[in-house]
Amino acid sequence: MVDRSQPVSRRGLFGALVRPFTRHLKERPVAHPEEIPDADTPRVAIIQGRFCLAYQGGVCFTCSERCPEPGAITTQQGIPTIHADLCTGCGICHDLCPAPVNAILVKAKPPTQTTEPSEPS
Amino acid sequence: MNTMERRDFLKLSAMAAATAAAQAKAGVERTALHKDAHGIRWDKAPCRFCGTGCHVKVGVKGGRVVAIAGAEDADVNKGLLCVKGYHVGGILYGKDRLTTPMLRKEGKLEPISWDEAITVIAERIYKNPQKFAFYGSGQWTIPEGYAAQKFIKGGLSNNHIDPNARLCMASAVTGFISTYGVDEPAGTYDDLDNASVVIFWGNNPAEMHPVLFSRIVDRRSRGEKVTIIDIGTRRTRSTEFADHYLEFRPQTDLAIANCIANYLIENDKYDKAFVEKYCNFRIDVDDKTRDLLGKASTFEEYKAKMSTYTLEYTSQLSGVSVEKLTMLCETFADSKQLITSLWCMGVNQHYRGTAMNRLLHGIHLLSGQFGKPGAAPTSLTGQPSACGTAREVGTLAHALPGGRIVAKPEHRADCEKAWNMAPGTINEKPGYHTVLMFEKFCTPTAEGGDIDTILVQVTNPGQTLPNLYKLFDAKKDLADKFLIVSEVYPTATTEIADLVLPAALWVEKSGVYGNSERRTQQWFKQVEPPGGAREDVWMTIAIARKLYDMGYPGMKDKDGKFIFSYKDEQGNEVPIWDYAHFNDINVDKALYEEYRPLTHAKHKNVAPYDVLVNAHGLRWPVVQTKDGNWRETRFRFTEADDPFVKKGTGLQFYHSTTNDDKAQIWFCPYEAAPEEPNKEYPFWLCTGRVLEHWHTGSMTMRVDQLRKAMPKAYVELNPKDAADKGINNGDLVKLTTARGEIVLPAWINGRAQPPRGSVFVPFFDEKLLINRLTLDVTCPVSKEPDYKKCATKVEKYNPTEKQPLP
Ligand code: SF4
Ligand code: SF4
Ligand code: SF4
Repeated sequence: MVDRSQPVSRRGLFGALVRPFTRHLKERPVAHPEEIPDADTPRVAIIQGRFCLAYQGGVCFTCSERCPEPGAITTQQGIPTIHADLCTGCGICHDLCPAPVNAILVKAKPPTQTTEPSEPS
Repeated sequence: MNTMERRDFLKLSAMAAATAAAQAKAGVERTALHKDAHGIRWDKAPCRFCGTGCHVKVGVKGGRVVAIAGAEDADVNKGLLCVKGYHVGGILYGKDRLTTPMLRKEGKLEPISWDEAITVIAERIYKNPQKFAFYGSGQWTIPEGYAAQKFIKGGLSNNHIDPNARLCMASAVTGFISTYGVDEPAGTYDDLDNASVVIFWGNNPAEMHPVLFSRIVDRRSRGEKVTIIDIGTRRTRSTEFADHYLEFRPQTDLAIANCIANYLIENDKYDKAFVEKYCNFRIDVDDKTRDLLGKASTFEEYKAKMSTYTLEYTSQLSGVSVEKLTMLCETFADSKQLITSLWCMGVNQHYRGTAMNRLLHGIHLLSGQFGKPGAAPTSLTGQPSACGTAREVGTLAHALPGGRIVAKPEHRADCEKAWNMAPGTINEKPGYHTVLMFEKFCTPTAEGGDIDTILVQVTNPGQTLPNLYKLFDAKKDLADKFLIVSEVYPTATTEIADLVLPAALWVEKSGVYGNSERRTQQWFKQVEPPGGAREDVWMTIAIARKLYDMGYPGMKDKDGKFIFSYKDEQGNEVPIWDYAHFNDINVDKALYEEYRPLTHAKHKNVAPYDVLVNAHGLRWPVVQTKDGNWRETRFRFTEADDPFVKKGTGLQFYHSTTNDDKAQIWFCPYEAAPEEPNKEYPFWLCTGRVLEHWHTGSMTMRVDQLRKAMPKAYVELNPKDAADKGINNGDLVKLTTARGEIVLPAWINGRAQPPRGSVFVPFFDEKLLINRLTLDVTCPVSKEPDYKKCATKVEKYNPTEKQPLP
């Protein structure tokens, strides 16, 4: 009989895999269920690496492909980074992120950033 | 609770009890099964989608799949899943599941009872058994494929059965058989953990086999060095991770492979000892003939033929620089490297698919990159059981279970004996392969269209056949042709079907799959199918039984017994064709165990059912060791690992076509594509899949997250071509080929950055059927069509309209 009784070692898992996701079909937990500020407030998107498929050794390019602001999300070796100065906080990446636990938070922009004139007009 | 609800409830709970009873009859304790603190019952199953064959943990509560997680102790995926895998549970719960059989009456599909449906099918087959064809799938479970095979090739003495795998890995099969004499890869995914160089041949594993891709790239994050060489006709998401990218003109991969062989020989850098001991040379019979076995060649003749493919000539033909070609050739010349080649549809869906497969095996054999961990020519499959069901069960038009073929009398006799059928029952003439099957179906009977009924299970030919107008849509005008489709959701195929059968999906039934690395994996039914949906294997058995009741002689074996008669533990026959009794025994186990001995002849020994119950799959050949354990095989044909290799031989190709334990190194020439860009149609058109959707999207488009992430098809264009034509992102573009036209939004560069003069369109979108444009010319040996290249015209369409991009 095949021996499956041994516990799985961390080494045996994918190196980058901190912990396996569980996808609950009904409720789709948001990482920090704090409210998304409404669209009038200046907002910015943030990727939570521990929930992002790309950060976890998987493959995903939804946010970087679908973000409407040129340059707001760039990728390196498949891993996305959001550039707060270019992000308009539109929330599209949050709405489309297909990770089992939504990896993108949309938060109010810290005041220091909102004063920067770097937002594309 | 009103009476209706109550009756349904009782029926459901009775069925649930039956499911539990069938599982208990598995006869072994199940280690994967447990209940957690939230009351979720966890069990295991392979993922429903791709040929990678990841294992998932399935969480069920209140009769529904409520959670999915990667199985940490599964060797394939070690806890990881791709974005599709995490959402696999959602495919069961699309709003438009089919739940009742429907017959087309005066143009409209009207609900009918299962009994009526089975009767309609049986009567059509009874009338014209030789005009009936069964079109199946690499997503069929092994028991489903085996039952279909026994039913048609045995019961009806008719060989018109083919799986959609014909469109997918037929060229890999002919490549393996003509090289090693027996199908399926020698290596496994373990090679990816050891290789120092991984080569993608027209392959985009980042999107198509994401977990395998992660397995390779993950090594880098652990500090290991692995060189990735990407050889393709377009940049892909995988290219981003490659150390070298070689972009070739479509079809010239043949020349590149030959160039490597020529370089190794010319520079005396091939592995002489290996070649001398283990290889023969082989060529086509003549310049025109392209068959499976060709003829023997001397080394000198092989060398002379190869000598055309110099670096300069190949560079000119393919567009790859001499420098890059030299780098590639030198990689194969360096005996310190451990090279694993991966390929899938880029090589298989190829007008010279068999040739290209042979050449890849050839360069690995010439360079001795074979038979040690990390060195292997490994073809991947796209479907979860292309290997298990299409290849091993042999559901192809020319094949029989366990690597047998209908053309060989002794192979037919083996099966007739196993099935207890009279000698001569199985027809010796191969049936129609997929393209021919649908061509005959779409041709009027009076003009030689001698297929009048097709039963389709677990696949969607209305979207996947090439040249759809000719091979599928033409059926609409033929009143005497009858299309029966077993499906889970409405699709392009059910749209013109005459009879639609609602099917159980994934963990709504039990099953056994076989993945790309010879791994056989089993799962149990975990939830009830919705409404009147039923198991495909039940449908096949019920049709057979109806024919038996009508007195059709083939449905009886030599002793007059029904061909699917199975007993319970008390030795009583169970009427499994009656759905109320289908779950009284484990039908999957009965069929699988009947099939299992048939796998021994070609040393494809699959593991016993009860052993699979507590494993995350085992890779055949699986043999029992002295201590009673079952041992799988990681590398076939090597003495170190394969139990069937004679001691002292090192490597033994024990099914060699030349009966001398040697493999064949083929020479196959570069030959032009059947349709190349020309004045009228100046672009290359390539089609394929995307990460988020599996094949035709019939399942994944029902999952919100996946549909949102990739909602519709598009055409990828090179920025310069787009600028020439004044096309911007989102503009509508009309593509026209000699077979049809389609209008879709442009995505400049897209995921791939297609080179100038070429476009790419994914095939998942049922509203934008790119296969209306593709070519139905096939590889002459494997009969697999080429979806990767044909000639198309590209025009800006309706300049004022814009469409949102995916
Ligand atoms: S869409 Fe979500 S999972 Fe995908 S790369 Fe972006 S953040 Fe990660
Ligand atoms: S919030 Fe909008 S602009 Fe910002 S990264 Fe996401 S999609 Fe781009
Ligand atoms: S789709 Fe393929 S790679 Fe993704 S989880 Fe399923 S089997 Fe694994």
